[in-house]
Amino acid sequence: MLFTSLTFLAFFTVFFICYWLIFTTVRAQNLFLLISSCIFYGWFSWPFLLLLLGSSAFNYWLGIGIGHTKDEKRRRLLLWIGLFQGIGCLFIFKYYNFFAQSAGATFHFRPDAFLLHVILPLGISFYTFRTLSYILDIYNEKLAPTNNWVSFFTYVSFFPCLISGPIDKPGAFLLQLKNARRFNGEQAADGLHQIIWGLFKKLVVADNCALLTQNVFDHYKTMPAGSLLFGAFLAIIQLYADFSGYSDMAIGLSKMIGLEVTRNFNYPFFAQNIADYWRRWHISLTAWFTEYVFMPLAGRFRNYGKGGLIGAIIIDFAIIGIWHGANFTFLLFGLLNGCYYIPLILRGKLNKKPPTSKGLLPGFRELVNMAGTFLLVMLTVVVFRADSVTQALDYLRRLLSPTILSGFWISEHANIYITLAGIFVLFAFEWVQRDKAHPLQLDRISGAPLRAAIYYSIILFTLLCCASATNEFIYFKF
Amino acid sequence: MDQNEILATITDVFRDALDDEKIILARETTAADVDNWDSLTHFQLVVAVERKFSIRFNSQEFLRWKNVGEMVDSISAKLNP
Repeated sequence: MLFTSLTFLAFFTVFFICYWLIFTTVRAQNLFLLISSCIFYGWFSWPFLLLLLGSSAFNYWLGIGIGHTKDEKRRRLLLWIGLFQGIGCLFIFKYYNFFAQSAGATFHFRPDAFLLHVILPLGISFYTFRTLSYILDIYNEKLAPTNNWVSFFTYVSFFPCLISGPIDKPGAFLLQLKNARRFNGEQAADGLHQIIWGLFKKLVVADNCALLTQNVFDHYKTMPAGSLLFGAFLAIIQLYADFSGYSDMAIGLSKMIGLEVTRNFNYPFFAQNIADYWRRWHISLTAWFTEYVFMPLAGRFRNYGKGGLIGAIIIDFAIIGIWHGANFTFLLFGLLNGCYYIPLILRGKLNKKPPTSKGLLPGFRELVNMAGTFLLVMLTVVVFRADSVTQALDYLRRLLSPTILSGFWISEHANIYITLAGIFVLFAFEWVQRDKAHPLQLDRISGAPLRAAIYYSIILFTLLCCASATNEFIYFKF
Repeated sequence: MDQNEILATITDVFRDALDDEKIILARETTAADVDNWDSLTHFQLVVAVERKFSIRFNSQEFLRWKNVGEMVDSISAKLNP
């Protein structure tokens, strides 16, 4: 049940009407939200719904155990049991076969007998991080355990964010579930506008880019360097439009339900250095890792000064890379991003956010910084996108060759102009509206007809120019 | 050193580390109230505070602070055991 499908439209319409018209008490709203989330997830896979509910029940019980125990040893034991369960599930479903195959290749044995025939449960990386966050926050005494199982299960399985985030912290989310939501027309309209923007990014930009990038990555050996550069450009735009489009829809749907969830993207292509970029890209995941992995590591390494800080960042990013999937490409992607922090740390610039312009045009230095950062993340996304490290390095070697300036050709011309028009609209709206939570917050425009004209233009553009084939969201497979 | 002096000193540390002279800290201030105070800069603020007061926190302590007031209490407890 993709957000872009008619099935989801029907599901959400029925949900929306019942939620606001029939279920008006906090208990009824939360229970209805939980049941709807189970139906949403069960639509993808009923057996994996049991895993989701089992994991929720186990961590609910652990949370109460950790929160109500004074004995530090017992608290720590319960925490470790929770970490073992969450990370263990991720390992079995996501990484076990990769390790078995890698061990087979290294030690020259056939791994077939050791492989598990399992498929990855949808959204497991995201909901597991919610349960881990919950028990870690209770252990760190930042959060009291909830005694309301419906609220906790709703936090873990909240359907707009279940499959691909954002990964909300439990404290802020559970607090919102304590009171009944009252329909707020302004909030719902804002949510709807954000969904429209998310659909535009997904259907026009990401899906049109997908047709072209697939072609480039499939035939990169026969293409000139200019085409490979263009392919890398489209790949980073596709990844951004796909994932941030999904996030916009998730946040917009949440607003329509009367709940605020955490922001996941903050115009990352306007970042001026790599630290700035990662503060703007997949914010909820980066913040999760910074709090639960980087900070404890940095604490342990702090006697080693800047070297310790660099070590903590690189390990943190290596794990972020591996979080995306069991492939050496993701590990390399993470390591590279960690290494990009080294100049910032050595120059003492990690804490300092570069000055940004408020006007229509960026300053010269800002423009140079943005272009440099974009180029770096664009080349790195080749590693993220490639099937293997060998393919990534081969692609980059061919890209960084003298033919890079000799122009480009891409065999499938049909949607290039629509794709480029979509990318232009994306960048133009995001630049002008970069101080807003999303680009369709048009409160600066006082005339309602003009605002409506802009909304309908985006809808029309989406309907007319959406790609012929829609793809599953990229982050579903993580 | 009393709690007000500690608060004034850590305000200076924050201003210096985050390069922002406009920062004003109160006991109730949280990371959400200060521009640039995020999880990445939090650790470096901790190290800067440790250096300023010549003290050392364990990771349990600085992971548990919910606001500036709890940070001030931790510093005070170490300075006045």
